[in-house]
Amino acid sequence: MKNILAISKITFKEAIRDKILYAILAFGILFGLLNLFLAKLALGDMVMIKSFGLAGIYIFGIVITIFLGASIIYKEIEKKTLYFVLSKPVSRSNIIVGKFFGLFAAVAFTTLLMALIYLAVIAYEGGGFDYLGLLAISFQMLEEAFFIAILIFFSSFSAPLTSTISALSLLFIGHLLDVVIKSAEQIGGVLHQIFMFLSVILPNLEKFNLRNLVVHNLSISFETALIVLGYALLYIILLLFCGTLLFKKREL
Amino acid sequence: MIEISNFKKSYGNEVVVDNVSLLIKKGSIFGFLGQNGAGKTTTMKMAVGITNPDSGDVTIDGKRPTDESSREKIGFMPESAYFYDRLTGLEFISFCGELFKKKMTEKHYEKILKNVGIYEARNKPIRVYSKGMKQRLGFAQAIVNDPEYIFLDEPLDGLDPLGRREIKEIIKTLNKEGRTIFFNSHILYDTEELCNEIGIIHKGKLLYAGNTKEFCEGKPLEEQFIIKITEKLFL
Repeated sequence: MKNILAISKITFKEAIRDKILYAILAFGILFGLLNLFLAKLALGDMVMIKSFGLAGIYIFGIVITIFLGASIIYKEIEKKTLYFVLSKPVSRSNIIVGKFFGLFAAVAFTTLLMALIYLAVIAYEGGGFDYLGLLAISFQMLEEAFFIAILIFFSSFSAPLTSTISALSLLFIGHLLDVVIKSAEQIGGVLHQIFMFLSVILPNLEKFNLRNLVVHNLSISFETALIVLGYALLYIILLLFCGTLLFKKREL
Repeated sequence: MIEISNFKKSYGNEVVVDNVSLLIKKGSIFGFLGQNGAGKTTTMKMAVGITNPDSGDVTIDGKRPTDESSREKIGFMPESAYFYDRLTGLEFISFCGELFKKKMTEKHYEKILKNVGIYEARNKPIRVYSKGMKQRLGFAQAIVNDPEYIFLDEPLDGLDPLGRREIKEIIKTLNKEGRTIFFNSHILYDTEELCNEIGIIHKGKLLYAGNTKEFCEGKPLEEQFIIKITEKLFL
């Protein structure tokens, strides 16, 4: 546990001091502030303002996650930085889990910064404290954690570009899965069964998307939230476990 | 004691280390010599448990280095590795220290940085360090846990003459304190000065392992090394 904490801490520090991260974050914050301008155009329509703000946080959150996570393990193998760590009493699973938490802390930190801007804009425009918006952002952070686990999994055995493309493909499929399954249900037959099988293996990322609900002041039940949380945790543990197995087999 | 028996390692069809066995006595300074690509680094990586050999075994005081408890008493300095560039020297050394069971204080880290001559730069990010300073930091992290066994891969590479002399002095002091030092090098002048035992590897095969003076037969190490390697090349 001590080693995981030390690796997380160092990963967080390294990530948070990246100048390119600041540039992306600055754009994210600027995007959030643009909401003030949009509010004027939308004549104070809260649905529009909230949609725009939450979408911005989501997009920039994912961009930051990809930027920080795509090469996280690969880079350290290529640059031999891991040799410093692996020659100490540290297991490879410590490294994978430590990297995950460190990276998640950095991504969560930047997401929360953007969330602060969003909440301030909503409050300024007369929407009060947007509890539901905060709930949507929390779920989005869950998706970011999920996405980091996917990136670490791919990064443990493939090059950054391959990791990014594979992870983005999963992100895309993960958000389309609900629609595809519904279409397959209508078609029926073997295709439906194939898609049902795939839906068990592939992550359904729409479970984390509360944005469409909260902009209309709708929420989800506590039970549903718990199920989604459990779903994310299960997938993350599975991905990190598989990532560790692959990383253990990796020749250094 | 470090006991390496019948190390074998291949990458694809290329045999990088071929049946290498070494016995390094406790308290000695052992220099592992060879040309670039001879198999020195791979042997060292296997000895510290970073890379698994295809066959063969290694024990340090009877325990395998893959055993986490045996790593508590190992220090390893990799060759020309990159650091976490956005950390400061002090942050990096503290991080390395935190990975051991033994609790270490900031004073301990600062003392090590003073010993290797980069104390003044301790709060600067590593990205602004020169090659020599990074080499010193690499050395510092290898001794952060006061290890009994220190593995150094080309420790004097990239250092100016003054820096080399300082690091050599530290190596001698560490050895006087009873630590065993295993280092790879192709700077034979320094090896001759430091090592009482040497091993010579050529194209993955061990050519010699034993006393430095016996190998030299009265000649300088560099001269004798070239003679032996050339003989091997024309055999």
